[in-house]
Amino acid sequence: MSKDNDKNKDDEATDINENTDANDTVEKIGVYICHCGGNISDHVDVEKVAESVKNIPGVTKVHTNSFMCSDPGQELIEKDIKSGSINRVVVASCAPSLHESTFRGAIKRADMNPFLYDHANIREQVSWVHDGEPATAKASILVKSSIEKARGLKALDVLKVDAKKHVLIVGGGIAGMRSGLDLAKQGFEVAILEKSPFLGGQASKLSRLAPSYEYAKDLIVELYTQLSKQNKVTFYTCAEMSSFKGYIGNFDVTLTREPSDAVKSKSKGEFVENRGIFIDNIPKETEEIAITIGAVVMATGFKTYEPAEDEFGFNKLEPVTTLEQFIQDYKKAETKKGILYLNNKKIKRIAFIHCVGSRQIPGIHEPDKNGNLNEYCSRTCCSSTLQAAERIKTTCPNTDVFDFYRDIRTYGRFQEDIYDSASEKGVMFFRFEPDAQPEVTENKNGKFPISIKTKDVLTFNEEIEVDVDLVVLVTGIIPNDISSMINMMKLPVGTDKFLQEVHPKLRPVEVANTGILLAGTCQAPMDITESCAAAQAASVKATALLYKGFVELDPFVAQVDTELCKGHGECLKVCPVDNTIEIDKVAKVNPALCTGCGICTAVCPENAIDVMGWSLKQYEKMVDAILAA
Amino acid sequence: MNSRKKLNFDTVVIGGGIAGLQTAIDLGDQGFKVAIIEKDATIGGTMIRLSKVFPTLDCASCITTPKMSEAAHHDNITLFTMCTLNALDKESNKVTASITQQPRYLDPDKCIGCRQCEYNCPVYVLDEEQGDLTLRKAAYIPFSNAIPQLALIDVENCSLCGKCAKVCPTDAIDYFQEPEDFIIEARTAVVTTGFNMTPADQKKEYGQGKIENVITALQMERILAPHGPYMRALRPSDGKEPESIAFIQCAGSRDKSLGVSYCSRVCCMYAIKQCMLLSGSLPLADLTIYYMDIRAFGKGYEQFYQNAKAMGIEFVKSKIASISQGADQSVALKYEAQEEGGKLATREHDLVVLSLGIVPEWDPTGICDIAKDTDQFIQCKMPKIAPTITSIEGMFTAGVASGPKDIVDTIAESGAAAMEAGNYMKHYH
Ligand SMILES: Cc1cc2nc3c(=O)[nH]c(=O)nc-3n(C[C@H](O)[C@H](O)[C@H](O)COP(=O)(O)OP(=O)(O)OC[C@H]3O[C@@H](n4cnc5c(N)ncnc54)[C@H](O)[C@@H]3O)c2cc1C
Ligand code: SF4
Ligand code: SF4
Repeated sequence: MSKDNDKNKDDEATDINENTDANDTVEKIGVYICHCGGNISDHVDVEKVAESVKNIPGVTKVHTNSFMCSDPGQELIEKDIKSGSINRVVVASCAPSLHESTFRGAIKRADMNPFLYDHANIREQVSWVHDGEPATAKASILVKSSIEKARGLKALDVLKVDAKKHVLIVGGGIAGMRSGLDLAKQGFEVAILEKSPFLGGQASKLSRLAPSYEYAKDLIVELYTQLSKQNKVTFYTCAEMSSFKGYIGNFDVTLTREPSDAVKSKSKGEFVENRGIFIDNIPKETEEIAITIGAVVMATGFKTYEPAEDEFGFNKLEPVTTLEQFIQDYKKAETKKGILYLNNKKIKRIAFIHCVGSRQIPGIHEPDKNGNLNEYCSRTCCSSTLQAAERIKTTCPNTDVFDFYRDIRTYGRFQEDIYDSASEKGVMFFRFEPDAQPEVTENKNGKFPISIKTKDVLTFNEEIEVDVDLVVLVTGIIPNDISSMINMMKLPVGTDKFLQEVHPKLRPVEVANTGILLAGTCQAPMDITESCAAAQAASVKATALLYKGFVELDPFVAQVDTELCKGHGECLKVCPVDNTIEIDKVAKVNPALCTGCGICTAVCPENAIDVMGWSLKQYEKMVDAILAA
Repeated sequence: MNSRKKLNFDTVVIGGGIAGLQTAIDLGDQGFKVAIIEKDATIGGTMIRLSKVFPTLDCASCITTPKMSEAAHHDNITLFTMCTLNALDKESNKVTASITQQPRYLDPDKCIGCRQCEYNCPVYVLDEEQGDLTLRKAAYIPFSNAIPQLALIDVENCSLCGKCAKVCPTDAIDYFQEPEDFIIEARTAVVTTGFNMTPADQKKEYGQGKIENVITALQMERILAPHGPYMRALRPSDGKEPESIAFIQCAGSRDKSLGVSYCSRVCCMYAIKQCMLLSGSLPLADLTIYYMDIRAFGKGYEQFYQNAKAMGIEFVKSKIASISQGADQSVALKYEAQEEGGKLATREHDLVVLSLGIVPEWDPTGICDIAKDTDQFIQCKMPKIAPTITSIEGMFTAGVASGPKDIVDTIAESGAAAMEAGNYMKHYH
């Protein structure tokens, strides 16, 4: 038999209680159980789960399908709704965060209220953590309890709240400027919040960029020129966020601006080397500014890793510097007889050591004083190092350049060309293993002040020693310290200390708190191209959120039964979100602020407050179902 | 057909892979009307054909189907599959796409996707959706979560026996269907035509595709996928469970002799991912990756690589010199053995995977004046601060069409293209 016929077995429907009363007040529950390819069905006997729920009163349809989220899967639900066979939906598949909106969409298309649906997670909570008989048993219990919850579901309407067409961009680096420009072009009001008196961020310190050899300064000036033509952009420089409240569409933010004694002699819009575009509105005294905005784009960027004391001789041996410092010094470099002179010092031989402060491995590298290791690759440093090496060999062919690396990561478009060119021009490469890092020591008697020892993998672990005038540590990228904003805004942070997106592929520029978007290196190391792409992706999300002038929120919020409420105010005492509950004889809930956490439900002595879609009664039924099993 | 149908949209997106879908969704969500032109019978591109995706190891279907279905059901998005793009022109603020829709040999309005034609078709041919490792019918739906769920008849192989026409419950089959020409006029275009793999039979030293049990990375993706050709990890020649599997990195990339001097950017990570998946399904197998540099640069990628090392996957720093057939249908690899001072050594593996590189799928020559760069991918005019702008005003690009990229970077760039196109329409129209 052809394999194709096996697929016949999928999508098998069990029709039960076919002659149920057509009366819509009777619950007719459709249960849809997903194989998730094999993600679920390799560990859970999906047919057995289906079997175990098909005789539960009120269950009128049970389907299994290889991918419920696929079109054929969704069509099963639509068909059953349209034929009048069901008026409640239970889907048992992956975590609801992945596909809740997919299934709500299918239900809506069939003209049913999308909130008459409940979701059992039998992948993350079952098949990925259990196996065999217990897995099947647990899946069955979760589906049963979901069926009981579904019985108590009521049709709900999404909450519509007005949204300000005003976006706050936090950080005036390249990503922040890029996003600000996009949103200003959309006709939104844009506020750019920047700590320093300058726009341009870290890129201002760079010179020619890999791999296009464009000057960073030109890009910053270009973005600023375009930005300054937009009339709805306000630059809040010398500012930090001092408070943050509210919800998507209506965030109330206070900014505090402090006087700064930075460059007074500069004029507005002038590019200051290594610092950026000067914005000439430094406050005379501390100012507080309150603004209300619809969405926030986080573009707080990065700083470079600062090597530990004596890490490869840093801060101990004078001729040891960082890539960041080298790039700045190189802007003023001179050449004599094909030899490089930096800060008037002759550099006949120079060495770069890659991955300093990046790609650290537990057990091999020393954690910093807070116990952190930077396990990630900083992504941009290989290309910028090779470009620096290539530039030196091009302008100063008589300076010898040595490159100590672990892997060369010139992954991006035209980056490999730099690597090729550097090799052709005579940059000498040595490869080291992470557990045998190069040793940098003072060379007291030799011609050169520094000596580097390593075991070179390229020559099959030969011990080599190279004497040089200058060592450049290729230091990685670490996120800027924004802990006060992380606390104020309750931003999620990953183990790598960068801000954490919801899902790298499904929602790559959004954080779990709706209305807050990510742009550039506050999320992960990126180069300018990648930061600008991410910034524009954040802009498009902000546009889609706000362009209609209102946003739609889930209706799972607390609701007060005004008949029962006696106005004790117990709910007000425990509610974790300020200003959500107000007592005016009875309790009143601001649905836009309520997060639906349900703490109030637990403390109300009158049982007068409940969360819509997740009522206490529903929970009781769910618990009963679990205990009965 | 002379009176060609003309349709109007705000944006025409060329290519319905993940880049095209995300661009269309982000434009549709801003209220623009979008047409997606796809040459295949289904949208989804390469991503829907993968097994699981790095670095999260989510199953590719679970992540792609919601995007496919979101685009398919979006009020502002219209899909056109089986379409050949004949010309794409830009003149005075107007993009014109001239398109031929190839026949499915059935009436798409009547087809209900029941697959009766497929079940009853007597002709078996190699299934390209399964890397040619198994068979499909001449009347078929590409795969179970294809969108749209419409069958098609592969006329090259159809024997015209008439069985499908007999069994189709809606009388949809039409053996005489003709290609249909139509025109789309739009304000902007986004090129998201994606990629192809470098040919497996290019390199003489690697046996030019003639050695048994040397497969491509995309074939390995299918072997590892939930509904793969064998439903488990076996080697093709004899169905044996392989005890040792090797991956050859940069097979087709970073190689000037092949005209692909660039790095393909995803192959290191997909090879590590495939090893991780193999170590799940074949816990006892020896897994080896032969590489020059491991390029694990994205968020969470280095940690993924270090986990793979900790799991016991062997990483050998070496460029493979040649591949030949070994004993018992195994594959022999010649390489410089580092631990033996660089001596040429030979090692045999039951199955070898070529981590092939990436080349552009679409060549605009003769169809559109959009500029290509020296690497043959679409040129980006302002690669740093506006990475999706092309040589033609009002035409944008995203995803692998403008250079190799993983899914995460493709999706971000697609949002960027939607932003640029949206702003362009707001300001220049
Ligand atoms: C073996 C392998 C494994 C991978 N694994 C991963 C992974 O685990 N994680 C990850 O992040 N990335 C992975 N990738 C990379 C990933 O596949 C790509 O990043 C992604 O698919 C790119 O999407 P795209 O839309 O740009 O291109 P594509 O997927 O190629 O889509 C392009 C679409 O355009 C259509 N098209 C082309 N030309 C035309 C035309 N002229 N007219 C109409 N339509 C046209 C094509 O038919 C196709 O549908 C992997 C790649 C490979 C090769
Ligand atoms: S980009 Fe290169 S130097 Fe930087 S951390 Fe990664 S491998 Fe190391
Ligand atoms: S990603 Fe890795 S395997 Fe692919 S071309 Fe680049 S270095 Fe080679």
